[in-house]
Parts: sequence; C-alpha cells; structure tokens
Amino acid sequence: MTQYDVIVIGAGAGGGVVAAVLAEAGKRVLLLERGRAQSFDELGRDHLRNHRLSQHGHSTGPELDGNPRVFVDPAGQERVLQPHEDGYQNNAAAVGGGTRVFGAQAWRFLPQDFQMATTYGVPADSSLADWPIGYDDLAPYYERAEWELGVAGDEGNRAIWPRSRPYPLPPMSPGRQGVVLRQGLASLGWDTRAVPLLINTEGYNNRAACIRCQHCVGFACPTDAKNGTHNTVIPRALATGRCELVTEAMVTLIDTDSAGCVSGVSYVDREGHHHQLQAAAVVCAAGAIETARLLLNSASRMHPRGLGNQHDQVGRHLQGHYYAGAAGLRAEPVFDGQGPGVSTATCEFNHGNREVIGGGMLADDFIVLPIILWKRMLPPDLPRWGQANKTFMRENYRRFLQVMGPVHEIPSPEARVTVDTSVQDRWGLPVARLSGTTHPETVRTAAFMVERAQDWLEASGVTRVWSRKPGLYLSAGQHQAGTCRMGADPRTSVVDTCGRVHGHDNLYVADASVHVTNGGFNPVLTILALAYRTAEQIAHSG
Amino acid sequence: MTVLTDPQIQTLRAAVDRIIPEDDYPGAWGAGVGEYLGRQMHGNPQFPRDIYRAGLDALDVEAQLQTGEPFCALSAAAQDDLLAQIEIGRVVSSWQVDPAAFFAFLVHYTMEGYYSDPDNGGNQDGIAWKMIGFEVRG
Ligand SMILES: Cc1cc2nc3c(=O)[nH]c(=O)nc-3n(C[C@H](O)[C@H](O)[C@H](O)COP(=O)(O)OP(=O)(O)OC[C@H]3O[C@@H](n4cnc5c(N)ncnc54)[C@H](O)[C@@H]3O)c2cc1C
Repeated sequence: MTQYDVIVIGAGAGGGVVAAVLAEAGKRVLLLERGRAQSFDELGRDHLRNHRLSQHGHSTGPELDGNPRVFVDPAGQERVLQPHEDGYQNNAAAVGGGTRVFGAQAWRFLPQDFQMATTYGVPADSSLADWPIGYDDLAPYYERAEWELGVAGDEGNRAIWPRSRPYPLPPMSPGRQGVVLRQGLASLGWDTRAVPLLINTEGYNNRAACIRCQHCVGFACPTDAKNGTHNTVIPRALATGRCELVTEAMVTLIDTDSAGCVSGVSYVDREGHHHQLQAAAVVCAAGAIETARLLLNSASRMHPRGLGNQHDQVGRHLQGHYYAGAAGLRAEPVFDGQGPGVSTATCEFNHGNREVIGGGMLADDFIVLPIILWKRMLPPDLPRWGQANKTFMRENYRRFLQVMGPVHEIPSPEARVTVDTSVQDRWGLPVARLSGTTHPETVRTAAFMVERAQDWLEASGVTRVWSRKPGLYLSAGQHQAGTCRMGADPRTSVVDTCGRVHGHDNLYVADASVHVTNGGFNPVLTILALAYRTAEQIAHSG
Repeated sequence: MTVLTDPQIQTLRAAVDRIIPEDDYPGAWGAGVGEYLGRQMHGNPQFPRDIYRAGLDALDVEAQLQTGEPFCALSAAAQDDLLAQIEIGRVVSSWQVDPAAFFAFLVHYTMEGYYSDPDNGGNQDGIAWKMIGFEVRG
C-alpha cells in the first residue's frame, strides 16, 4: 500500500492550495518544503537582507551556501551564483514560498492574456502561444482564491473582468501618493482602479486588519494581515489531520518504477537523512526554476531526458516580468508613511496598443526603503556621493514618486532552465543552469510602457521625470514562470490542460511553471487559481 | 581577527566623510558607518577585505604622491578633487586594485551603513531616517 495519496513538492503559492484542496477532499497528503516556517520576529526587518534588497543575503532562504545556480549571460559568460546575487533569479524558500513575504498584489489576468498568439500573431523566433484554457475556465477559481485567501479591491471606473462576485474586502484607501496619481489618471481620462491586494483591510478569516506599516513587500506582516498560503490554506490543510507538513525537506528526485510510472519521491531531511516515500500521485510545486530542475534531474532508464521531457520542452520559455516605470519629484511631499504604499493602478495599456505586442498594468510603488531609493532609483545625472547626493536624499525622499508595472513578456524558447552536471548543490544534485534572454519584442513593449509611465507622472504634477531604458536580458526572478507550459500538444508543451504531465497518469505541476504566457500583471492570483483547478482534477481522478 | 591599522582608519574616516559629509546632520562616520563597515568586515564572508585594505593604503599613497600629505590631512576640497579622480580611475601611483572599483565599493558600503536599518550598525538612532523623513510607525 502506498504511504500517501499525494505528495506535494513545495509549500508555496501553488503547493499550499493543492495540499488544502486535497486534504479537505479526504486525501492523505504529504507536503514537503525545503524552507522553514518562520515567525515575524525571525524574519525581521533587515534592510539589506530581504527579498526586496538581498544585498548581503535574505531572511527567507534558500541558504547562501550549498544552493548555487549557473547563470549564462547574453554574452555567453558563465558564472556560478549564490542565491542573493543578481542573475540567480531567486524567490523565497519558506512555508508560503513567495507569498510569505510578497507584496500581495492580487490580479486576475485579462481574457486576452490567454490568447496572445491569436490577438497579435507570433513574432519570429518567439514561442508566443495561446493558453489551451481561457479566462472563463479560470474565473471560478480566481473567485475561490479571492474569497478563501482574502482579497481587498474594487473594479474602479471600468469593469474589464467579467466577475460574478465582488471582492470580499473593501479596497485599500489611497494615501497621499495614490490621491495625487488618481488626479493624474482622471486628467488623462485613463482607466483607474484600486490595486487588488491579498491584505485584510478589515478583519477576515479570524485575522486582524492591516495597520499600514512601512515594511510590506519583502517582509513578513506584523499583524498577520497579509494573506499568503502560510496563514490561510496551509493551516486549513493541517487542520484536517490528513496533511503532514515536513519543513527543511529537500526533494531530490521524483521516483519512477521499472515501467516508468511515478511511484513517489526521495528527499533529504534537515539532519541529512535520506527518505524514499511512495504515493499514488505526485504534484510538483517547487516554483518555475526548481520544478524544471527536478523533472530534469529525475531522468531514469525509461525517461532518459527527464520526466515529461520527451520533446525537449521542460525548462524552455522561462519568463518573468520586465518592469517598466518612471520616477520623479513632486513639489509637495507625497510620502505619508501609509503602507503598503501601493494603492492605485491603470489597466489602460494592457492591450490595444497599436505599436507593440501586449502591454501591461501600471501602478504606484510600495513604500521605498531609503537604501533602495539610493541604490536603484536616483536620477542618472545626480552625483553618486558628496554633499549634492546627501542634499538630494534629504530634500527629496518624501517628494519622490514612481509608477511601474509588469510587462507581458513575449517568451523565447531559448530562455531556459537546463541542469549543469559540473556544478552540484549541497545534496550532490546538478544545479539549475539559466541561459538565454527574453524575446526582443518584450523590450519594445517595455519601452512603450516606460513612456506611458512618464505620461502618467507628468499628468500628476511631477516636475522632473526620469527612467531607465530597457535592454535585452533574461528575466525570471520572483515572477518566474513558463518552464512546463500547458498545452494540448505534447510536442510543444509539458502538461495538459489539467496540469498533468503528458505521458504520465499521476504526475502533476501546480505552480507558475505551467503558465503559457505570464500576463501583464503580477502572477500569484493566477498561480493560486490554476492550483485550485488542478487540485480539483486530482481529487476527482480517484 | 584582522583589523585596520591606525592610518587605514584615518584614511577611511576622512574618505567616508567626503562621501557623506557632515552638515547639520552627521556625516558618515558620525552616523556609525565605521561600525557598519567593521561588522561587515568581520561578519560577511563575501566582504572584499583585500580590496578594502589595499584600496585604503593606495588612496593614502596617491594623496602623498600628488600633494605630499596624507589623505586625512588634506582640505575637504582637495579630498573631493582626489576622490573624483579616483572615481573615474585616474591615478598616478600604482594601485594593486582597480581604483574606480575600490571607490564604487566604498561608496556603496558607506550608503548602506548610513541609510539602512540601525541594527546593521550604522544610521545610529535612525538619524539618517530622521533627516530624510522615513518614519517607522508600525
Ligand atoms: C518580495 C516578493 C514580492 C512579491 N510580490 C508579489 C505581488 O505583489 N503579487 C504577485 O502576484 N506576486 C508577487 N510575488 C511573486 C509570487 O510570490 C510568486 O509568483 C509565487 O509565490 C510563485 O508561486 P509558485 O507556487 O510558483 O512557487 P513558490 O511560491 O516559489 O513556491 C515554491 C516552493 O517550493 C519550495 N521548493 C523548491 N524546490 C524544492 C524541493 N526540491 N524540495 C522541497 N521544496 C522545494 C520552495 O522553497 C518554495 O517554498 C512576490 C514575490 C516576492 C519574493
């Protein structure tokens, strides 16, 4: 007899949802997470070691030692990187995964986001494609995610998503920067809406409301008002008594039997002991890079190129989000210390832009930590040191304003995760090797969005506007996606429309890997919705 | 444990105080950047100790060669001029480390100490945050 009905690899966004749905459906679930369950106090507020600025490490794993990746830059130069270094494309490793410390923006993708190839055609050398499912397939699951985890929002001045139920929580009220930016949007006549947030604006699910602190994105919430999987669906899964969560459990292999069927997983526990466990089904939810790596590392005699990889698709189409934005200064201070800071968005340019493919949402920013302003956001012509620099920081920290947003990327099959057998992690496994870049069309769309961000600031009374010109690079990072693309055709995709790996009866992927394209929005609500949908399929499949 | 020599400390202090000078708010040293750098040097395995020490020595040699005085004895204006040259890699003495890279490193670490959270050793009493108006309320 198998020990578990289902083993879920990774207790992040997707994995947390799958564990809850299946445990509540009566399944015996094992949830394995390489990170730890960390309290607010353990995570702390180190401005140099967090997932917004990981200058010298981060509070939420993975550990700096023993978890390298190989990054190949556009010039072909290879570097072995630690998790906090640029190019590693890190996301948090923790119970909750990225949602432990995320910014909590909770966007649905738009109907056209699922039909990019039909809408725009396919640029040469890109792997732009339609999703095999549409917005209507996902809508009920978006709604479930919004209600079960708790999203605050409203539809603003234009409803662009067909929805059958409103958001469960009222929107975050705009602070001073939001008020100023809404005036700008009104003067332009642009779409204006509250940023939907997985944050309790009122008490919800027996947890408190947001106290509008200054350390939201990149940090844990002091009042537990930010809704990740760690404080919603994972506790629900555990409360059934049928889900066991093991932390600091690194899954090293998905095991297959002599016939090539998935039989369970192997993992190493925190003491370094090896375990091999059997399950009727296995769900990969390790995030887009680690899921691809695990499938590739699980090659066996029957699956010499890795699981699900008979057509060399696993790891391809790696994508994330270019961020297009602009910054500037207002004559009057806009900083009011009201966290999270982000409150106001426009979806005016997600689609229908004549010159470019796709587009993206633009929104204001979270409260900017002072050292991040200095490192990333100063005007390019400002001296980097000396009295002029100090005076600028002093006079303008509270007058600084920026808007930005994720650009819908045009994927490239050459942006990919492979495994590098010459570099091993602390468990002796080949590490992820990241190479390629996004498609050049992404850069064009990003440049277009930079100009729209500038327009918005200029209409909002911002006197001096600056921005950076986007270049061509590999983008994955915290919004990493696409490495096990969903599709009907096994030759061009890795999982079917339910998230089941082609050619396998009992192996699923339930994280951002399955995204065909990544929308012009932060991705987590889509990851959650897809995980609900896939989990339901698994529950029904016996 | 390795520590800096007295001359290295004097050069460091003078240099970081030009990177963030004192006005009616403290300069880098007065806000604790020295403490921040000390903790980095001892606690961060990736801290570039060799570049740090060699760069401080070279900065002083450069000052001596160009002006006949140690860096810390120069006027603020002369220190600024010299640092501006080093920033673009223009030096006359022979440096064991890339002067521009050393200076960029020193600027970044000085800013980290000054503007990041006081638990890192700099920005003591949150003085830099008071100056710019970043308040932690919740
Ligand atoms: C600072 C920050 C801010 C963000 N803000 C937003 C936002 O505002 N809105 C938004 O939509 N998105 C945001 N994101 C992104 C969002 O968190 C991710 O898109 C999302 O968490 C990805 O979900 P996932 O299920 O694909 O993977 P993850 O949530 O990354 O979960 C994967 C989990 O698997 C674990 N794992 C990996 N390999 C193994 C293994 N071999 N064995 C065991 N466990 C393993 C990892 O440790 C991790 O916990 C943010 C992320 C960060 C870090």
